[in-house]
Amino acid sequence: MSVKAFELVPAVERDQLMGDKARINIECVECCGKHLYVGTNDCFIYHFLLEEQTSAKGRPAYVTQKLLHKYLGLKKPVVELRAASALERLIILCDGTITVVDMVTLETVPVGGAKIKGVAAFCVNENPVTGDPFCVEMAVVSSRRRAVQIFSVHEDRVQMLKEVATPEQPVAVSLDGYFLCLALPAQYMILNYKTGASQDLFPYDCEERKPIVKRIGREEFLLAAPGGLGMFANAEGISQRAPVKWSESVIAAAVCYPYVVALDEGFVTVHSMLDQQLKQTLAFRDGHLLQDFEGKVVLASTKAVYVLVPMPLERQIQDLLAGHRVEEALILTEGAQRNIPKDKFQILHRRILQQAGFVQFGQLQFLEAKEHFRKGQLDVRELISLYPLLLPASSSFTRCHPPLHEFADLNHLAQGDPEKVQRCKRFLISYLREERTSDGVNGFREDVDTALLKLYAELGHESLLDLLASENACLLSDCAPWLEKHQKYFALGLLYHYNSQDAAALQLWVRVVNGDLQDSTRSDLFEYVVDFLSFCPKPDLVWKYADWALQKDQKIGVQIFTKRPISDDETAGKLNPDDVITYLQKHSQALLLYLEHLVLDQRVQKEKFHTHLAVLYTDRVLSLISRSTATEEQLSSAREKLQRLLRESHLYRVQLILGKIQDSDVLLLERATLHGKLEEHETALHILVHQLKDSPAAEDYCSWASASHDHTYRQRLFHLLLGVYLDPDVPGGPQTVAAVDLLNRHADTFDAVRVLELLPDTWSLPLLRPFLCGALRASVHASRTSQVALGLARAENLQLQHDRLKYRGGPIFVSEKKGCRLCHSTFSDPDCVCLPGGTPVHTHCATQRIRDSPTKRRLDHASNHT
Amino acid sequence: MIIKYSVVVSPSLKANQRQVTTTMPESTKMKKPDVKIVILGDMNVGKTSLLHRYTERKFKDTISTVGGAFFLKQWGPYNISIWDTAGREQFHGLGSMYCRGAAAVILTYDVTNWQSLAELEDRFLSLTDTASTDCIFAIVGNKADLTDPHAQAATSGGGQADAELGGVQTQPLPACPTPPASPLLNKQVSKEDAMALYGRVLRYKGLEEKTSPPAEKMCFETSAKTGYNVDMLFETLFDMVLPSILKKRREGENSTVDLEESRGSKRTKAGCCA
Repeated sequence: MSVKAFELVPAVERDQLMGDKARINIECVECCGKHLYVGTNDCFIYHFLLEEQTSAKGRPAYVTQKLLHKYLGLKKPVVELRAASALERLIILCDGTITVVDMVTLETVPVGGAKIKGVAAFCVNENPVTGDPFCVEMAVVSSRRRAVQIFSVHEDRVQMLKEVATPEQPVAVSLDGYFLCLALPAQYMILNYKTGASQDLFPYDCEERKPIVKRIGREEFLLAAPGGLGMFANAEGISQRAPVKWSESVIAAAVCYPYVVALDEGFVTVHSMLDQQLKQTLAFRDGHLLQDFEGKVVLASTKAVYVLVPMPLERQIQDLLAGHRVEEALILTEGAQRNIPKDKFQILHRRILQQAGFVQFGQLQFLEAKEHFRKGQLDVRELISLYPLLLPASSSFTRCHPPLHEFADLNHLAQGDPEKVQRCKRFLISYLREERTSDGVNGFREDVDTALLKLYAELGHESLLDLLASENACLLSDCAPWLEKHQKYFALGLLYHYNSQDAAALQLWVRVVNGDLQDSTRSDLFEYVVDFLSFCPKPDLVWKYADWALQKDQKIGVQIFTKRPISDDETAGKLNPDDVITYLQKHSQALLLYLEHLVLDQRVQKEKFHTHLAVLYTDRVLSLISRSTATEEQLSSAREKLQRLLRESHLYRVQLILGKIQDSDVLLLERATLHGKLEEHETALHILVHQLKDSPAAEDYCSWASASHDHTYRQRLFHLLLGVYLDPDVPGGPQTVAAVDLLNRHADTFDAVRVLELLPDTWSLPLLRPFLCGALRASVHASRTSQVALGLARAENLQLQHDRLKYRGGPIFVSEKKGCRLCHSTFSDPDCVCLPGGTPVHTHCATQRIRDSPTKRRLDHASNHT
Repeated sequence: MIIKYSVVVSPSLKANQRQVTTTMPESTKMKKPDVKIVILGDMNVGKTSLLHRYTERKFKDTISTVGGAFFLKQWGPYNISIWDTAGREQFHGLGSMYCRGAAAVILTYDVTNWQSLAELEDRFLSLTDTASTDCIFAIVGNKADLTDPHAQAATSGGGQADAELGGVQTQPLPACPTPPASPLLNKQVSKEDAMALYGRVLRYKGLEEKTSPPAEKMCFETSAKTGYNVDMLFETLFDMVLPSILKKRREGENSTVDLEESRGSKRTKAGCCA
C-alpha cells in the first residue's frame, strides 16, 4: 500500500490565523478556486489567496496571502461556510442563522425576506435541478423541526422552494438533484424532495459517532456505517461498491476521484474506490476538518490548514509500476478513463499497458506480458532492443523516452542467469512469430525478421530454414556475420539466394561440401547444390560449378543438366543440349547419362543424339568384349541397352554403327538388327540362322521387323526365314527341324500353297500336321468369312435398293388405255420413262424431248463449233 | 489492514459451455453487474469460505468479514455480482441495503449449529424485504464435511459427479486435508429442517409453493472445505436468475424513458413505507 496518492502541503499556518491565542480554533473552511475562507470559533472569517507553486525539488507548495478578515459580531463559532462563486456570495452559518456576504468584501448582503434561523446544518446542491446558473440550491436542516427546507439563493435574494418533513430530526444532510441523503439520529435515509418518496438505508447510532453523509457523484453517497465502514449507497438505496474500511474513530471523509480520503484521530487514510483497497496512510494529529472542493482536498487541524495535493495520476501509476503492482496500476489507469480526454487516455493507457507488460516480462510472466504488449500495441522493437545485437545496426529505432522499463538489456534483467536468458529468448521467438503475421509490424519488418533470424540461428531453431525459405525481410548485411558466427552456412546460403546472390550462396555451400566449413544442417548438401544448380537460371553459374559437381560425382552431378528443362532457347536461362554435350565430353559417364536422358527419357528426335548414344553404347560393349575382366553380367546389360536402342530408335546412322561392329563375331544379334534397319532381311536372317544359330531370335526378328507393316510384309519375312532354313547350300544343309517348328508355330502367317511347293516331297504329312491343319483351317476360315461378308454385302445392297424404291414413290401404272403425256397416244408395251413427278411417257418421246430441250440443243450447238 | 474481500473476476471454469473469458481480470472489473446474489447468514457459518471456494477453488482460513464484499462473476454474457455479507451483529443493519434489488438470496447456516438455522429466520429473513419481488431463495447448510462422510469426498472441483462418486468406503482422500478417520460431529440440522425453513420462507414472502422452485432443489448441504456441492449451488442459482437478468435487460432497453418509469414505480412502492 505504498502508493503516494496525495501529498500534504501546508496552506495556512497558525500564525496567519490566531497567532498564539490558544483558545481560538478553526471551525470550518471553504475553498473556491484560489480563495480560501476560514471560519473560527471566535466568529471571524478569514479570506486567503492561495497561490500554488512548485518548489525547487518539484514538490508542490502554497504561498498564502491573507486578504481580509471580518468579525461577524455574534460571538459564536462560524459553523459552516459555502461559497457561491457564480453569485460572488459566501453563505455563512453562524449561531443557527444563515447569512449571505459578498465574497470579496465579506460585507453582509441584504437578501430580503425572513432570516433563515434555527439552522442545524445546510448543504449546497452540486447537481442542481434548476437550469439557472446564477442560482444556488441549498438544503437546510432545521434544529427545531423534523424537516428539511430547500432554498434557492440568488445574488440578491434567498427563496424557499420546498419544505419536506422527515421522520426524525436530521443531523446531517447531503443533496444531489432531488435526492436528499439524510443522517437521522438512528439511521440514514434517502428522500426525494420532489416526490416525497423515501428509502431507508441502514441504521447507525449517532451517540456513538458523528454521521458522515458525503455526496461522491451523481446520485451516489458515501456514508459512515457501524464498524468504521464507509458505505456507498446510490439514490435507490443500493450499494454498488463494496464498502471501504475506516477506523472506528473516523471524523470526516472526502472524495477525490478515484480515492476516498478519510480523517480519524491520528491518520488520514486513502482508499481507492476502484478496488476498495487502502492505498495510503498519512499520520495527521488533531485533524479536525476534511473537505473536498472541486478536486482540492483541504484538511485542517484546529490551528492550521493544509491541502492534500493529489499526486499526478501518471506519477501514481508509475509508482505502482515501480512497485511491480501491475494490476493496481492498470485499475487506476482505467479508472481515470472518464476524467481524461479520449485520445489522451488512449495514449496513456497504451503506455501503461506496455510498461505493465515489461514489468511482467521482467518477472518472466510471459503470458501476461504478451497480453499487455499486444493490448498496448507495443512497438516490438522496444522488446527486441532488450536483447543485445538483435536489432540490425542500420535500424532507425531508438527506445522510447521516458523508458518503458528499467532494464538495460537482457543480461541485466536475467542477472546472468543463463536459463532465464534462454526462456526470454524463447518467449521473444514466439512473440515475434505471432507479431509477424499481424499488421502491427508493417513499418519495420526488417527489424523483426532480422531479430527472429538471429534468434533462430543462435538457438539452433528448426524454423530458421522455414523463415529463409518463405517471404522475409531479413537484412543480409546484418544477418550474414551472425549466421557465420553460428556456423549456419547453409542458412546463410539460403539468405544469399533470397537476396539474389546465388553466386555467393553457391560459393559458401561448395566450401561446406568440400569440408572447408563446418555446418551439419544438411547431410545431403551436395545433392541440394546439384538440385539448386539444375534450377539455377544463370548459365554462367551452372557452368562454373558443373565441373566441380561432376568431378565430385558424375552420376549426381549430371542431374544439373538432366533435371533442367530442355530447350534451344538460351535466353530463358535454359541450356542448349549441344553445348552440354560438348561440355560433357570430359565426363564420359555423365555424358552417357545425359544422352540417355535426352534420347530415352525426353525422346528428343535428333539423329545426332541417337547416333552419339548408339556409338557410346557400342564402344562400351566393344570395350567390355575386349576387356577380359568384364563379367558376363556387365556385358549382357550393356548389350541389352545397345540392342534396345538399335531396335527402338530409327534415327541413328545405321551404317556407322554397322561399320563399328562389322568385325565383331559376338555382336551378331546387333548386326542382324542393323541389317534389319537397312531392310536387308535376308542378310539379317542369314546371320541369325547360320551364324548365331538362334532360331527363336530369328522368329523374334521377323515379328519385330514386320511389326509396323501389313500382313503381306510379314508373310514375306516368314517365307524368307523359311527359305533360309531350307537353303541346302549352306554348311550343315537345310535346317529341317527349325523349318518344321516355324511352320507349325506360324501356320496362319504362311501362304500354304507356296509353302507346299517349297517343301521337299520326302517330308511326312504327320510332321506338318499342325501346319496343314492350321493352314487348312485358315483357308476354310477365310473362305467362310468371305462368304459371310458376301452375304452381308448382298443383304445390304438389297436393303439399299429397297430404301431407294421406297423413296422414289409408289408403282407407276401403265396400261393400254393410258396415254403418253407427250405424244398423247397409248402405250403398247410396258417400257416407259417416268418424267419427274412420276408421269409415264414413251421411251422415244422422252428421248425426243431431251433432244429438243434447250440445254441439249445448246450443247449440240457448241459441239458443232469445236 | 487486511480487508477481507476481493474483486477478482476469474474466468468461468465451465469454459466448455460458457464463453471463455480472458485471464486479464481488470478488463471486466469495471463492468456493471446485471444481477445481484446475496449470501446471508450468521457469523462463522462460512459465507466467505463458500464464495472463496467457488471463486478461488480453494479453502483457506478467513477472518471475520468486515462490512461486506462482492465478487463479479462472468456467466456467459452476463455479469453477476455476488455479495458476501458480514454475519456479525454489528453489521446487521447493512444487510437490507445489500439485499436491495437482489435476484437471489443464499441463506446460509452451519449444519453443526442449530442456532445458526434459527438465526436465519429470526434475524436474516427480514433483511430480504428489500430484495426483488421475484427473488429466489436457497437454504444452504455449510460445513457438511464435519457430519457427512459423503461431503468429505468431494475435492476442489466439488461437482455433483464427485459427490455421487464419493461413497463411504471409497476413500483414500488425497485432496482432503481432513483425515478421513476424523470423528464426525453431531449433525444438529437435518435437511428436513432446512426444507421446512424453506417452506416458511416462502410463506413469509407470500410466495406460492407451487410456483416457486421446490424445496428439494433449493436446499443444499455444502462444504466449503472440500468443495462438496459448492459449484452446484452457485451454478444452479446462476441459471435460475437468468430470467430476471433478461427481464432487467428488456426493461433497460428503452433507455432513458424507461429509467424514469422505473423510478416512478419505485417511488410509489417506497411511498407506502415512508
